Amino acid sequence: MMGVVIVVLVVIAALLAIISGVWVALALITAISARRAIPDTQCRTDGQSSE
Amino acid sequence: MHTVLSVAVIVTYVAVLTFVAVRARAAREFAEFSLARRALPLALVFGSLAATYVGPVFSIGFVGRGFKSGLLFLGVGLAYAVQNILVGLFVAPRLRLLKGCHTLGDAIGQKYAPKCQVLAGIISVGLCAGFAAVMAKAGGDVLRSIFGLPHWSSVIVVVGITALYTTFGGLRASVITDAFQFSAFAILLPLMLLLVLIFHLNGSAATFVKEASAATTAGFDSTSPIKILGLVAAFLLGETLIPPYANRALASKTTGVSRNGFVLAGLFSIVWFMVMIALGIAARGIVRGDIEEDKVLLKLVESTMPGAGYALLMVVLISIIMSSLDSLLNAGAVSFTQDIVKPFAKVPDSTALNIGRCATIVIAAIAAVGALAVPSIIDGLLICYTIWAPAILPVLIIGLWIKRPRPLAGILSMGIGTLVAIMFQFVFPSATEVPAIIPALGAALLAYMLGHWLERAYEERK
Repeated sequence: MMGVVIVVLVVIAALLAIISGVWVALALITAISARRAIPDTQCRTDGQSSE
Repeated sequence: MHTVLSVAVIVTYVAVLTFVAVRARAAREFAEFSLARRALPLALVFGSLAATYVGPVFSIGFVGRGFKSGLLFLGVGLAYAVQNILVGLFVAPRLRLLKGCHTLGDAIGQKYAPKCQVLAGIISVGLCAGFAAVMAKAGGDVLRSIFGLPHWSSVIVVVGITALYTTFGGLRASVITDAFQFSAFAILLPLMLLLVLIFHLNGSAATFVKEASAATTAGFDSTSPIKILGLVAAFLLGETLIPPYANRALASKTTGVSRNGFVLAGLFSIVWFMVMIALGIAARGIVRGDIEEDKVLLKLVESTMPGAGYALLMVVLISIIMSSLDSLLNAGAVSFTQDIVKPFAKVPDSTALNIGRCATIVIAAIAAVGALAVPSIIDGLLICYTIWAPAILPVLIIGLWIKRPRPLAGILSMGIGTLVAIMFQFVFPSATEVPAIIPALGAALLAYMLGHWLERAYEERK
């Protein structure tokens, strides 16, 4: 039983890592398929861009 | 046939990486080169942070440790996750709030005095070059094992390609290529673990647990509690806010992105360590027991993956190293320009950009030469950790939190922290069983308190 739990945790960890990779890949595709790699913003002050 | 397929896989990978780097565009001004205009979204900050910290130690090294010591290093690795989460919650947003800040040295200069910025800059550039030398050695090792090239030429290829896109694209190119490299290894290595668990683990889950238990017991038997304490301290503090991480905190779009990027990167490290340790444990049934730790992952890939899969995973391993190396080259170059050159000379933006580019090339050259002198990947990194934490962390963290930090406290803490770390690491390595990072941190904190007290007493007398 313990063995199954450990292996299930390992499999969940592997799937989470894969999901993270896919998420970042999608963000990358969005970034590089836009006209500019990372959107150039007007030089904002920190106050404007910070929460 | 296998060779043709392998070469095709490698050429395709390099072509896609080049395309991604070209899409990132050359930086046209220093603010782009150093901070990517402070416009990085959460996914890219997270991916780039994770790609930077997942270097050879957190991949090749952790698989080897999982093979020899089972779950012991999962516990040690948790200290790293805790550090990232704490930095995300308490330090990164404060750092991001500072105005006109390009580097950690800038932050220290704003809080203390310009002379503190220069000292922080010298330490940052030196440490970035040291870390980069370790990455260059690791990259050379992997490339040599694929192509059988001499080590020096493998190092030159890895450092040369990385320096090329970092020199022209700056932080923007570094982050964009990091995201690509992160996606590659975060998908392919866990996928390999799933394949090994399904097709190569003889028996069942019970076999895996039996191997994990045997390795963990062996790990605790062969590691003294004081050594475990030292490792936890090194993982908790040694890589905290090293220049590339600080640059990403500063380059985030908002303070929220900065905070969440670090917290997510911390949580991802737990997941990643589980995958790497599990690969090491699974390898116990596949790879010979007397193999060197650093070769377990390479051997496991070779034994379980078909020709093209082997080539792809090898390229992924080089990616892991290049994504750390590019961040270090850029952070070192930005720190040199901002913390060492700018305080002494008012330079126009285009000159600052060119200085940053030249500094990238010089640091890359130092890293390539230094790679030949690095003893081993883990030892090299532990030396860097030992110096970084006492030299910078007390000054930075206390400076961000207290109302009026005193310059004398900053200078004394950075100077004495660095000196004590070097003394315990190189001059008297066997003076104490306690790892050098602990007495050096203690000395840095004491020096800080002394400097703070002396300067305050002087001000009161005036």
